[in-house]
Amino acid sequence: MGATTSLVKDKAATGLRPAGRPAWLRKTARLLFGLAVTALIWESAVQLFVIRPVYLPRLSTILMAIAATPGAYVNGFLRTSAETLIGFATGSAFGVLTGIAFFRVRALREMIFPIFVVSQTIPVIAFGALVVLWFGNTLLAKAVIAFYLTFFPVTVNTLLGLETVDPKQVALMRSFGASSGQLLLRLQLPTALPQIFVALRLASSLSLVGAIVGEWFGDTTGLGVLLLQAMFTENVVAIWGALLAAALLGTGFYAVVAAAERRLVFWSAEQ
Amino acid sequence: MQAAIQTKDMPIAGSPEATAKPSPLLELRAVTKTYGPVAALSGLEASVAPGEFVTVVGPSGCGKSTLFNIVAGLEEPDAGGILRFEGNSCHAADLLGRVSFMPQRDLLLPWRNVVDNAILALEVEGMPRAQARAKALKMLPEFGLTGFEKQYPHQLSGGMRQRVALMRTFLFERGLMLLDEPFGALDALTRAMMQRWLLDVWQKYRRTILFITHDVDEAIFLGDRVLVMTARPGSVKLEQVVDLPRPRRPEIVTAPEFVRLKRTLLDAIEEESMKSFQSAVAQEKAT
Repeated sequence: MGATTSLVKDKAATGLRPAGRPAWLRKTARLLFGLAVTALIWESAVQLFVIRPVYLPRLSTILMAIAATPGAYVNGFLRTSAETLIGFATGSAFGVLTGIAFFRVRALREMIFPIFVVSQTIPVIAFGALVVLWFGNTLLAKAVIAFYLTFFPVTVNTLLGLETVDPKQVALMRSFGASSGQLLLRLQLPTALPQIFVALRLASSLSLVGAIVGEWFGDTTGLGVLLLQAMFTENVVAIWGALLAAALLGTGFYAVVAAAERRLVFWSAEQ
Repeated sequence: MQAAIQTKDMPIAGSPEATAKPSPLLELRAVTKTYGPVAALSGLEASVAPGEFVTVVGPSGCGKSTLFNIVAGLEEPDAGGILRFEGNSCHAADLLGRVSFMPQRDLLLPWRNVVDNAILALEVEGMPRAQARAKALKMLPEFGLTGFEKQYPHQLSGGMRQRVALMRTFLFERGLMLLDEPFGALDALTRAMMQRWLLDVWQKYRRTILFITHDVDEAIFLGDRVLVMTARPGSVKLEQVVDLPRPRRPEIVTAPEFVRLKRTLLDAIEEESMKSFQSAVAQEKAT
Protein backbone atom coordinates (compact mmCIF):
# COMPACT_ATOMS: atom_id res chain seq x y z
CA MET A 1 0.00 0.00 0.00
CA GLY A 2 2.76 2.37 1.03
CA ALA A 3 4.76 1.34 -2.01
CA THR A 4 1.95 2.03 -4.43
CA THR A 5 1.22 5.49 -3.08
CA SER A 6 4.89 6.46 -3.25
CA LEU A 7 4.98 5.10 -6.77
CA VAL A 8 2.06 7.27 -7.76
CA LYS A 9 3.77 10.26 -6.15
CA ASP A 10 6.99 9.53 -8.02
CA LYS A 11 5.13 9.35 -11.29
CA ALA A 12 3.44 12.65 -10.63
CA ALA A 13 6.70 14.27 -9.61
CA THR A 14 8.70 13.18 -12.61
CA GLY A 15 5.83 14.02 -14.93
CA LEU A 16 5.62 10.56 -16.49
CA ARG A 17 1.96 11.17 -17.04
CA PRO A 18 1.35 14.37 -18.95
CA ALA A 19 -1.78 15.20 -16.94
CA GLY A 20 0.01 14.35 -13.67
CA ARG A 21 -0.92 16.71 -10.84
CA PRO A 22 -0.55 16.35 -7.09
CA ALA A 23 -3.35 14.20 -5.66
CA TRP A 24 -4.83 16.98 -3.55
CA LEU A 25 -5.04 19.34 -6.50
CA ARG A 26 -6.86 16.76 -8.57
CA LYS A 27 -9.26 16.09 -5.71
CA THR A 28 -9.97 19.77 -5.19
CA ALA A 29 -10.52 20.27 -8.90
CA ARG A 30 -13.03 17.41 -8.96
CA LEU A 31 -14.81 18.75 -5.92
CA LEU A 32 -15.12 22.22 -7.46
CA PHE A 33 -16.35 20.67 -10.66
CA GLY A 34 -18.98 18.71 -8.73
CA LEU A 35 -20.12 21.87 -6.96
CA ALA A 36 -20.33 23.76 -10.25
CA VAL A 37 -22.43 21.00 -11.81
CA THR A 38 -24.80 20.98 -8.82
CA ALA A 39 -25.14 24.76 -8.99
CA LEU A 40 -25.88 24.56 -12.68
CA ILE A 41 -28.54 21.88 -12.23
CA TRP A 42 -30.11 23.89 -9.40
CA GLU A 43 -30.19 27.07 -11.42
CA SER A 44 -31.56 25.49 -14.60
CA ALA A 45 -34.03 23.16 -12.86
CA VAL A 46 -35.73 26.07 -11.12
CA GLN A 47 -36.13 27.82 -14.46
CA LEU A 48 -36.93 24.75 -16.47
CA PHE A 49 -39.63 23.33 -14.17
CA VAL A 50 -40.83 26.79 -13.15
CA ILE A 51 -40.43 26.02 -9.45
CA ARG A 52 -41.99 28.75 -7.33
CA PRO A 53 -39.47 30.70 -5.26
CA VAL A 54 -41.37 29.79 -2.07
CA TYR A 55 -40.17 26.25 -2.51
CA LEU A 56 -36.79 26.80 -4.05
CA PRO A 57 -35.39 30.13 -5.20
CA ARG A 58 -32.73 30.29 -7.88
CA LEU A 59 -29.20 29.93 -6.58
CA SER A 60 -28.19 33.15 -8.28
CA THR A 61 -30.98 35.02 -6.46
CA ILE A 62 -29.72 33.68 -3.12
CA LEU A 63 -26.11 34.54 -3.89
CA MET A 64 -27.11 38.03 -5.00
CA ALA A 65 -29.09 38.54 -1.80
CA ILE A 66 -26.01 37.55 0.20
CA ALA A 67 -23.85 39.88 -1.87
CA ALA A 68 -26.30 42.74 -1.27
CA THR A 69 -25.86 42.59 2.52
CA PRO A 70 -22.58 40.77 3.02
CA GLY A 71 -21.95 42.36 6.41
CA ALA A 72 -24.77 40.53 8.17
CA TYR A 73 -23.64 37.19 6.80
CA VAL A 74 -19.95 37.71 7.54
CA ASN A 75 -20.68 38.87 11.09
CA GLY A 76 -23.13 36.04 11.62
CA PHE A 77 -20.66 33.55 10.25
CA LEU A 78 -17.85 34.77 12.50
CA ARG A 79 -20.03 34.94 15.57
CA THR A 80 -21.47 31.46 15.10
CA SER A 81 -18.00 30.09 14.30
CA ALA A 82 -16.68 31.47 17.58
CA GLU A 83 -19.53 29.90 19.56
CA THR A 84 -19.12 26.61 17.75
CA LEU A 85 -15.36 26.51 18.21
CA ILE A 86 -15.45 27.35 21.92
CA GLY A 87 -18.18 24.77 22.53
CA PHE A 88 -16.34 22.17 20.47
CA ALA A 89 -12.96 22.75 22.09
CA THR A 90 -14.22 22.73 25.66
CA GLY A 91 -16.62 19.87 25.00
CA SER A 92 -13.93 17.72 23.41
CA ALA A 93 -11.40 18.42 26.14
CA PHE A 94 -13.99 17.71 28.82
CA GLY A 95 -15.10 14.57 27.00
CA VAL A 96 -11.58 13.17 26.69
CA LEU A 97 -10.76 13.97 30.32
CA THR A 98 -13.95 12.41 31.67
CA GLY A 99 -13.42 9.41 29.40
CA ILE A 100 -9.96 8.91 30.92
CA ALA A 101 -11.29 9.44 34.44
CA PHE A 102 -14.07 6.89 33.94
CA PHE A 103 -11.56 4.45 32.48
CA ARG A 104 -9.14 4.77 35.38
CA VAL A 105 -11.60 5.01 38.27
CA ARG A 106 -14.36 2.48 37.98
CA ALA A 107 -16.25 3.87 40.98
CA LEU A 108 -16.37 7.30 39.36
CA ARG A 109 -17.81 5.80 36.23
CA GLU A 110 -20.54 4.02 38.16
CA MET A 111 -21.38 7.21 40.07
CA ILE A 112 -21.25 9.84 37.33
CA PHE A 113 -21.82 8.09 34.03
CA PRO A 114 -25.56 7.50 34.61
CA ILE A 115 -25.92 11.22 35.35
CA PHE A 116 -24.23 11.97 32.03
CA VAL A 117 -26.72 9.74 30.30
CA VAL A 118 -29.65 11.46 32.03
CA SER A 119 -28.24 14.86 31.06
CA GLN A 120 -28.34 13.82 27.42
CA THR A 121 -31.99 12.82 27.57
CA ILE A 122 -32.99 16.40 28.42
CA PRO A 123 -34.09 18.06 25.15
CA VAL A 124 -31.59 20.69 24.13
CA ILE A 125 -34.38 23.28 23.96
CA ALA A 126 -35.21 22.81 27.65
CA PHE A 127 -31.56 22.92 28.56
CA GLY A 128 -31.07 26.00 26.39
CA ALA A 129 -33.76 27.94 28.26
CA LEU A 130 -31.95 27.20 31.50
CA VAL A 131 -28.59 28.22 30.13
CA VAL A 132 -29.94 31.54 28.88
CA LEU A 133 -31.33 32.18 32.37
CA TRP A 134 -27.89 31.47 33.83
CA PHE A 135 -25.66 33.28 31.37
CA GLY A 136 -27.98 35.73 29.64
CA ASN A 137 -27.79 36.40 25.93
CA THR A 138 -24.02 36.12 25.79
CA LEU A 139 -21.64 34.31 23.53
CA LEU A 140 -20.82 32.14 26.51
CA ALA A 141 -24.42 30.88 26.73
CA LYS A 142 -24.26 29.62 23.12
CA ALA A 143 -20.89 28.05 23.70
CA VAL A 144 -22.27 26.24 26.74
CA ILE A 145 -25.12 24.78 24.68
CA ALA A 146 -22.64 23.69 22.00
CA PHE A 147 -20.53 22.17 24.78
CA TYR A 148 -23.57 20.33 26.12
CA LEU A 149 -24.21 18.66 22.77
CA THR A 150 -20.53 17.92 22.20
CA PHE A 151 -18.99 16.33 25.25
CA PHE A 152 -21.07 13.19 25.62
CA PRO A 153 -20.13 11.37 22.41
CA VAL A 154 -16.51 12.25 23.09
CA THR A 155 -16.68 10.81 26.61
CA VAL A 156 -18.29 7.61 25.37
CA ASN A 157 -15.88 7.11 22.50
CA THR A 158 -12.81 7.91 24.57
CA LEU A 159 -13.92 5.30 27.05
CA LEU A 160 -14.63 2.80 24.28
CA GLY A 161 -11.27 3.48 22.66
CA LEU A 162 -9.36 3.10 25.90
CA GLU A 163 -11.06 -0.21 26.52
CA THR A 164 -9.89 -1.64 23.20
CA VAL A 165 -6.26 -1.58 24.39
CA ASP A 166 -4.75 -5.05 24.12
CA PRO A 167 -4.02 -6.42 27.63
CA LYS A 168 -0.88 -8.08 26.20
CA GLN A 169 0.37 -4.69 25.13
CA VAL A 170 -0.27 -3.37 28.65
CA ALA A 171 1.60 -6.37 30.07
CA LEU A 172 4.56 -5.64 27.81
CA MET A 173 4.71 -2.00 28.87
CA ARG A 174 4.44 -2.99 32.52
CA SER A 175 7.29 -5.46 32.07
CA PHE A 176 9.39 -2.49 30.97
CA GLY A 177 8.49 -0.92 34.31
CA ALA A 178 6.09 1.66 32.85
CA SER A 179 4.15 3.86 35.28
CA SER A 180 0.41 4.36 34.78
CA GLY A 181 1.06 7.83 33.35
CA GLN A 182 3.48 6.38 30.79
CA LEU A 183 0.95 3.69 29.95
CA LEU A 184 -1.69 6.33 29.31
CA LEU A 185 0.42 8.61 27.14
CA ARG A 186 2.42 6.05 25.22
CA LEU A 187 -0.13 3.31 24.78
CA GLN A 188 -3.71 3.90 25.84
CA LEU A 189 -4.42 7.35 24.44
CA PRO A 190 -2.80 6.70 21.03
CA THR A 191 -4.75 3.43 20.81
CA ALA A 192 -7.98 5.29 21.58
CA LEU A 193 -7.26 8.10 19.14
CA PRO A 194 -9.04 6.64 16.07
CA GLN A 195 -12.15 6.07 18.19
CA ILE A 196 -11.90 9.57 19.71
CA PHE A 197 -11.78 11.07 16.23
CA VAL A 198 -14.99 9.33 15.26
CA ALA A 199 -16.61 11.30 18.09
CA LEU A 200 -14.82 14.53 17.18
CA ARG A 201 -16.20 14.41 13.66
CA LEU A 202 -19.67 13.93 15.08
CA ALA A 203 -19.02 16.67 17.66
CA SER A 204 -17.99 19.12 14.95
CA SER A 205 -21.51 19.08 13.50
CA LEU A 206 -23.23 18.82 16.87
CA SER A 207 -21.46 21.88 18.20
CA LEU A 208 -22.75 23.91 15.24
CA VAL A 209 -26.29 22.72 15.97
CA GLY A 210 -25.80 23.77 19.60
CA ALA A 211 -24.59 27.22 18.65
CA ILE A 212 -27.46 27.85 16.22
CA VAL A 213 -30.12 26.57 18.62
CA GLY A 214 -28.53 28.72 21.32
CA GLU A 215 -28.95 31.79 19.17
CA TRP A 216 -32.68 31.12 18.84
CA PHE A 217 -33.09 31.99 22.50
CA GLY A 218 -32.32 35.56 21.58
CA ASP A 219 -29.37 37.40 20.16
CA THR A 220 -28.61 40.02 17.55
CA THR A 221 -25.92 38.38 15.44
CA GLY A 222 -25.28 34.85 14.27
CA LEU A 223 -26.46 32.49 11.56
CA GLY A 224 -29.21 31.22 13.85
CA VAL A 225 -30.47 34.79 14.26
CA LEU A 226 -30.47 35.29 10.49
CA LEU A 227 -32.38 32.07 10.08
CA LEU A 228 -34.97 33.05 12.68
CA GLN A 229 -35.44 36.55 11.28
CA ALA A 230 -35.89 35.18 7.80
CA MET A 231 -38.44 32.70 9.08
CA PHE A 232 -40.49 35.38 10.83
CA THR A 233 -40.49 37.60 7.77
CA GLU A 234 -41.14 34.61 5.52
CA ASN A 235 -38.18 35.67 3.45
CA VAL A 236 -37.40 32.44 1.64
CA VAL A 237 -34.31 33.79 -0.06
CA ALA A 238 -32.84 34.89 3.29
CA ILE A 239 -33.58 31.46 4.80
CA TRP A 240 -31.66 29.85 1.97
CA GLY A 241 -28.87 32.36 2.40
CA ALA A 242 -28.46 31.56 6.10
CA LEU A 243 -28.72 27.89 5.26
CA LEU A 244 -25.90 28.09 2.73
CA ALA A 245 -23.74 30.01 5.20
CA ALA A 246 -24.40 27.40 7.91
CA ALA A 247 -23.62 24.61 5.43
CA LEU A 248 -20.35 26.29 4.54
CA LEU A 249 -19.41 26.62 8.20
CA GLY A 250 -20.41 23.06 9.05
CA THR A 251 -18.66 21.51 6.07
CA GLY A 252 -15.54 23.59 6.56
CA PHE A 253 -15.29 22.66 10.20
CA TYR A 254 -15.91 18.99 9.48
CA ALA A 255 -13.23 19.07 6.79
CA VAL A 256 -10.71 20.58 9.20
CA VAL A 257 -11.41 17.89 11.81
CA ALA A 258 -11.23 15.14 9.17
CA ALA A 259 -7.93 16.53 7.87
CA ALA A 260 -6.53 16.59 11.40
CA GLU A 261 -7.64 12.99 11.77
CA ARG A 262 -5.92 11.88 8.57
CA ARG A 263 -2.73 13.54 9.75
CA LEU A 264 -2.77 12.30 13.34
CA VAL A 265 -4.25 8.84 12.90
CA PHE A 266 -2.26 8.02 9.78
CA TRP A 267 -1.80 4.40 10.78
CA SER A 268 -5.41 3.28 11.18
CA ALA A 269 -6.34 3.60 7.49
CA GLU A 270 -3.33 1.60 6.43
CA GLN A 271 -3.72 -1.39 8.69
CA MET B 1 32.92 -17.69 28.84
CA GLN B 2 30.41 -17.89 31.63
CA ALA B 3 32.90 -16.49 34.11
CA ALA B 4 33.23 -13.38 31.98
CA ILE B 5 29.51 -12.87 31.97
CA GLN B 6 29.22 -13.30 35.68
CA THR B 7 31.65 -10.54 36.44
CA LYS B 8 29.93 -8.35 33.90
CA ASP B 9 26.32 -8.93 34.73
CA MET B 10 26.18 -9.73 38.39
CA PRO B 11 28.26 -8.77 41.34
CA ILE B 12 28.81 -11.93 43.36
CA ALA B 13 31.15 -12.50 46.24
CA GLY B 14 34.15 -14.68 45.69
CA SER B 15 35.81 -15.83 42.54
CA PRO B 16 33.38 -17.46 40.12
CA GLU B 17 36.06 -19.87 38.93
CA ALA B 18 36.32 -21.37 42.39
CA THR B 19 32.77 -22.66 42.40
CA ALA B 20 32.13 -25.62 40.20
CA LYS B 21 28.64 -24.50 39.28
CA PRO B 22 27.99 -20.78 38.87
CA SER B 23 25.27 -19.48 41.15
CA PRO B 24 22.08 -19.11 39.15
CA LEU B 25 20.77 -15.81 37.86
CA LEU B 26 17.21 -16.99 38.24
CA GLU B 27 15.98 -19.70 40.52
CA LEU B 28 12.47 -21.06 40.97
CA ARG B 29 11.72 -23.47 43.79
CA ALA B 30 8.39 -25.21 44.35
CA VAL B 31 6.56 -22.54 42.37
CA THR B 32 2.82 -23.12 42.15
CA LYS B 33 0.12 -21.06 40.48
CA THR B 34 -3.59 -21.74 40.54
CA TYR B 35 -6.42 -19.82 38.91
CA GLY B 36 -9.49 -20.70 40.91
CA PRO B 37 -9.95 -24.46 40.45
CA VAL B 38 -7.31 -24.71 37.72
CA ALA B 39 -3.72 -25.43 38.67
CA ALA B 40 -1.43 -24.02 35.99
CA LEU B 41 1.88 -24.74 37.70
CA SER B 42 2.64 -27.11 40.52
CA GLY B 43 5.96 -27.44 42.29
CA LEU B 44 8.00 -26.10 39.41
CA GLU B 45 11.75 -26.14 39.93
CA ALA B 46 14.13 -24.46 37.53
CA SER B 47 17.22 -22.37 37.45
CA VAL B 48 19.07 -20.40 34.82
CA ALA B 49 22.78 -19.68 35.03
CA PRO B 50 24.20 -16.37 33.83
CA GLY B 51 24.93 -16.40 30.12
CA GLU B 52 22.98 -19.57 29.58
CA PHE B 53 20.48 -20.17 26.77
CA VAL B 54 17.68 -22.27 28.24
CA THR B 55 14.78 -23.43 26.11
CA VAL B 56 11.43 -24.62 27.43
CA VAL B 57 9.20 -27.06 25.54
CA GLY B 58 6.01 -28.77 26.54
CA PRO B 59 2.55 -29.79 25.40
CA SER B 60 0.15 -26.96 24.68
CA GLY B 61 -1.59 -25.58 27.72
CA CYS B 62 1.17 -26.77 30.07
CA GLY B 63 1.58 -23.44 31.79
CA LYS B 64 4.58 -22.18 29.82
CA SER B 65 3.05 -18.77 29.49
CA THR B 66 2.16 -18.67 33.18
CA LEU B 67 5.78 -19.42 33.96
CA PHE B 68 6.87 -16.57 31.74
CA ASN B 69 4.37 -14.13 33.17
CA ILE B 70 5.72 -14.90 36.64
CA VAL B 71 9.33 -14.42 35.60
CA ALA B 72 8.38 -11.20 33.75
CA GLY B 73 6.82 -9.95 36.99
CA LEU B 74 3.30 -9.78 35.57
CA GLU B 75 1.79 -12.44 37.80
CA GLU B 76 2.50 -13.40 41.38
CA PRO B 77 2.94 -17.14 42.10
CA ASP B 78 0.98 -18.70 44.97
CA ALA B 79 2.46 -18.29 48.42
CA GLY B 80 4.98 -20.91 49.42
CA GLY B 81 7.13 -20.96 46.30
CA ILE B 82 10.54 -19.38 46.20
CA LEU B 83 11.66 -16.97 43.53
CA ARG B 84 15.27 -15.82 43.52
CA PHE B 85 16.79 -13.34 41.11
CA GLU B 86 20.49 -12.45 41.14
CA GLY B 87 20.79 -14.43 44.35
CA ASN B 88 18.10 -12.54 46.24
CA SER B 89 14.69 -13.89 47.09
CA CYS B 90 12.00 -11.61 45.69
CA HIS B 91 8.38 -11.16 44.69
CA ALA B 92 7.44 -11.47 41.05
CA ALA B 93 6.42 -7.80 41.01
CA ASP B 94 10.02 -6.88 41.88
CA LEU B 95 11.02 -8.27 38.49
CA LEU B 96 9.01 -5.65 36.60
CA GLY B 97 11.49 -3.57 34.66
CA ARG B 98 14.35 -5.97 35.46
CA VAL B 99 13.75 -8.66 32.87
CA SER B 100 13.45 -7.93 29.19
CA PHE B 101 10.39 -9.70 28.00
CA MET B 102 9.34 -10.46 24.48
CA PRO B 103 5.81 -11.82 24.07
CA GLN B 104 4.62 -14.15 21.34
CA ARG B 105 3.28 -11.44 19.07
CA ASP B 106 5.55 -8.55 18.17
CA LEU B 107 3.11 -6.01 19.69
CA LEU B 108 4.70 -3.13 17.81
CA LEU B 109 2.90 0.18 18.15
CA PRO B 110 1.46 1.12 14.73
CA TRP B 111 2.02 4.86 15.27
CA ARG B 112 5.73 4.47 15.91
CA ASN B 113 8.33 3.83 13.23
CA VAL B 114 10.98 1.12 13.51
CA VAL B 115 13.43 3.13 15.59
CA ASP B 116 10.79 4.55 17.91
CA ASN B 117 9.33 1.10 18.48
CA ALA B 118 12.77 -0.27 19.28
CA ILE B 119 13.44 2.41 21.89
CA LEU B 120 10.09 2.10 23.66
CA ALA B 121 11.54 0.35 26.70
CA LEU B 122 14.46 2.80 26.91
CA GLU B 123 12.01 5.70 26.82
CA VAL B 124 9.97 4.16 29.61
CA GLU B 125 13.21 3.90 31.58
CA GLY B 126 13.67 7.64 31.17
CA MET B 127 16.48 7.78 28.61
CA PRO B 128 16.25 10.95 26.46
CA ARG B 129 14.82 10.17 23.03
CA ALA B 130 17.80 11.47 21.05
CA GLN B 131 20.21 9.31 22.99
CA ALA B 132 17.99 6.23 22.74
CA ARG B 133 17.55 6.74 18.99
CA ALA B 134 21.29 7.05 18.47
CA LYS B 135 21.76 3.79 20.31
CA ALA B 136 19.09 2.05 18.24
CA LEU B 137 20.47 3.37 14.95
CA LYS B 138 23.82 1.76 15.72
CA MET B 139 22.11 -1.59 16.22
CA LEU B 140 20.05 -1.50 13.00
CA PRO B 141 22.55 -3.29 10.73
CA GLU B 142 22.85 -6.25 13.07
CA PHE B 143 19.13 -6.69 13.08
CA GLY B 144 18.96 -6.46 9.29
CA LEU B 145 16.94 -3.27 9.44
CA THR B 146 19.28 -0.76 7.82
CA GLY B 147 17.33 1.69 5.73
CA PHE B 148 14.05 0.76 7.39
CA GLU B 149 14.37 3.02 10.42
CA LYS B 150 11.63 5.38 9.24
CA GLN B 151 9.20 2.65 8.16
CA TYR B 152 6.05 1.91 10.10
CA PRO B 153 5.12 -1.61 11.25
CA HIS B 154 2.42 -2.08 8.60
CA GLN B 155 5.09 -1.59 5.94
CA LEU B 156 7.25 -4.46 7.22
CA SER B 157 7.20 -8.22 6.67
CA GLY B 158 6.53 -10.61 9.54
CA GLY B 159 10.22 -11.49 9.93
CA MET B 160 11.20 -7.85 10.04
CA ARG B 161 8.56 -6.99 12.59
CA GLN B 162 9.86 -9.79 14.74
CA ARG B 163 13.39 -8.43 14.42
CA VAL B 164 12.19 -5.00 15.50
CA ALA B 165 10.56 -6.61 18.55
CA LEU B 166 13.80 -8.49 19.28
CA MET B 167 15.76 -5.29 18.93
CA ARG B 168 13.44 -3.64 21.44
CA THR B 169 14.14 -6.54 23.79
CA PHE B 170 17.91 -6.36 23.24
CA LEU B 171 18.03 -2.61 23.73
CA PHE B 172 16.38 -3.01 27.11
CA GLU B 173 19.58 -4.33 28.63
CA ARG B 174 18.69 -6.62 31.46
CA GLY B 175 20.37 -9.65 33.00
CA LEU B 176 17.68 -11.96 31.70
CA MET B 177 15.82 -12.07 28.39
CA LEU B 178 12.51 -13.88 28.16
CA LEU B 179 11.46 -14.88 24.67
CA ASP B 180 8.02 -16.42 24.31
CA GLU B 181 7.83 -18.33 21.00
CA PRO B 182 9.27 -15.36 19.15
CA PHE B 183 9.43 -17.20 15.82
CA GLY B 184 6.18 -19.13 16.18
CA ALA B 185 4.32 -17.13 13.56
CA LEU B 186 7.05 -17.17 10.91
CA ASP B 187 7.38 -19.45 7.91
CA ALA B 188 9.93 -22.26 8.14
CA LEU B 189 12.61 -20.58 6.04
CA THR B 190 12.48 -17.22 7.80
CA ARG B 191 12.37 -19.07 11.06
CA ALA B 192 15.56 -21.03 10.40
CA MET B 193 17.31 -17.82 9.39
CA MET B 194 16.11 -16.04 12.49
CA GLN B 195 17.33 -18.87 14.72
CA ARG B 196 20.85 -18.71 13.33
CA TRP B 197 20.79 -14.98 13.52
CA LEU B 198 19.63 -15.06 17.15
CA LEU B 199 22.51 -17.36 18.07
CA ASP B 200 24.98 -14.94 16.47
CA VAL B 201 23.54 -11.99 18.31
CA TRP B 202 23.36 -13.93 21.57
CA GLN B 203 27.01 -14.94 21.30
CA LYS B 204 28.00 -11.38 20.59
CA TYR B 205 26.04 -9.76 23.43
CA ARG B 206 26.27 -12.68 25.86
CA ARG B 207 22.85 -12.34 27.37
CA THR B 208 21.04 -14.90 29.44
CA ILE B 209 18.01 -16.19 27.58
CA LEU B 210 14.97 -18.16 28.61
CA PHE B 211 13.18 -19.19 25.44
CA ILE B 212 9.76 -20.83 25.11
CA THR B 213 8.97 -22.86 22.01
CA HIS B 214 6.81 -25.79 21.00
CA ASP B 215 9.29 -26.82 18.35
CA VAL B 216 11.71 -29.48 19.61
CA ASP B 217 14.22 -28.86 16.81
CA GLU B 218 14.34 -25.21 17.72
CA ALA B 219 14.75 -26.02 21.42
CA ILE B 220 17.77 -28.27 20.76
CA PHE B 221 19.32 -26.10 18.06
CA LEU B 222 19.31 -23.00 20.25
CA GLY B 223 19.61 -24.22 23.82
CA ASP B 224 22.39 -25.09 26.22
CA ARG B 225 19.71 -26.88 28.16
CA VAL B 226 16.16 -27.91 27.33
CA LEU B 227 13.46 -28.06 29.99
CA VAL B 228 10.52 -30.30 29.12
CA MET B 229 7.38 -29.40 30.99
CA THR B 230 4.72 -31.81 32.15
CA ALA B 231 1.05 -31.53 31.25
CA ARG B 232 -1.01 -29.17 33.40
CA PRO B 233 -0.35 -28.52 36.23
CA GLY B 234 3.06 -27.75 34.82
CA SER B 235 6.37 -28.63 36.35
CA VAL B 236 9.71 -29.62 34.88
CA LYS B 237 9.58 -33.22 33.70
CA LEU B 238 12.99 -33.46 32.16
CA GLU B 239 16.07 -31.34 32.10
CA GLN B 240 18.24 -32.19 29.10
CA VAL B 241 21.69 -30.70 28.65
CA VAL B 242 22.49 -30.08 24.99
CA ASP B 243 26.22 -30.61 24.64
CA LEU B 244 26.41 -29.91 20.93
CA PRO B 245 29.36 -27.72 20.02
CA ARG B 246 28.89 -24.06 19.21
CA PRO B 247 28.73 -22.29 16.87
CA ARG B 248 26.03 -24.60 15.58
CA ARG B 249 25.66 -25.06 11.86
CA PRO B 250 22.26 -25.66 10.25
CA GLU B 251 23.38 -29.18 9.20
CA ILE B 252 23.56 -30.16 12.84
CA VAL B 253 19.87 -31.02 12.84
CA THR B 254 20.68 -34.25 10.98
CA ALA B 255 23.66 -35.21 13.13
CA PRO B 256 23.21 -38.46 15.13
CA GLU B 257 23.67 -36.68 18.50
CA PHE B 258 20.99 -34.20 17.56
CA VAL B 259 18.58 -36.91 16.50
CA ARG B 260 19.25 -38.86 19.70
CA LEU B 261 18.44 -35.80 21.83
CA LYS B 262 15.35 -35.17 19.78
CA ARG B 263 14.16 -38.76 20.32
CA THR B 264 14.54 -38.42 24.10
CA LEU B 265 12.73 -35.09 24.20
CA LEU B 266 9.95 -36.17 21.85
CA ASP B 267 9.29 -39.26 23.96
CA ALA B 268 8.97 -37.13 27.06
CA ILE B 269 6.68 -34.62 25.35
CA GLU B 270 4.57 -37.33 23.77
CA GLU B 271 3.96 -38.93 27.13
CA GLU B 272 2.80 -35.60 28.55
CA SER B 273 0.71 -34.75 25.50
CA MET B 274 -1.12 -38.07 25.88
CA LYS B 275 -1.81 -37.26 29.53
CA SER B 276 -3.25 -33.86 28.78
CA PHE B 277 -5.26 -35.32 25.91
CA GLN B 278 -6.66 -38.05 28.10
CA SER B 279 -7.54 -35.66 30.88
CA ALA B 280 -9.27 -33.42 28.36
CA VAL B 281 -11.30 -36.39 27.12
CA ALA B 282 -12.12 -37.40 30.69
CA GLN B 283 -13.26 -33.88 31.43
CA GLU B 284 -15.43 -33.88 28.35
CA LYS B 285 -17.10 -37.09 29.50
CA ALA B 286 -17.61 -35.76 33.01
CA THR B 287 -19.45 -32.66 31.84
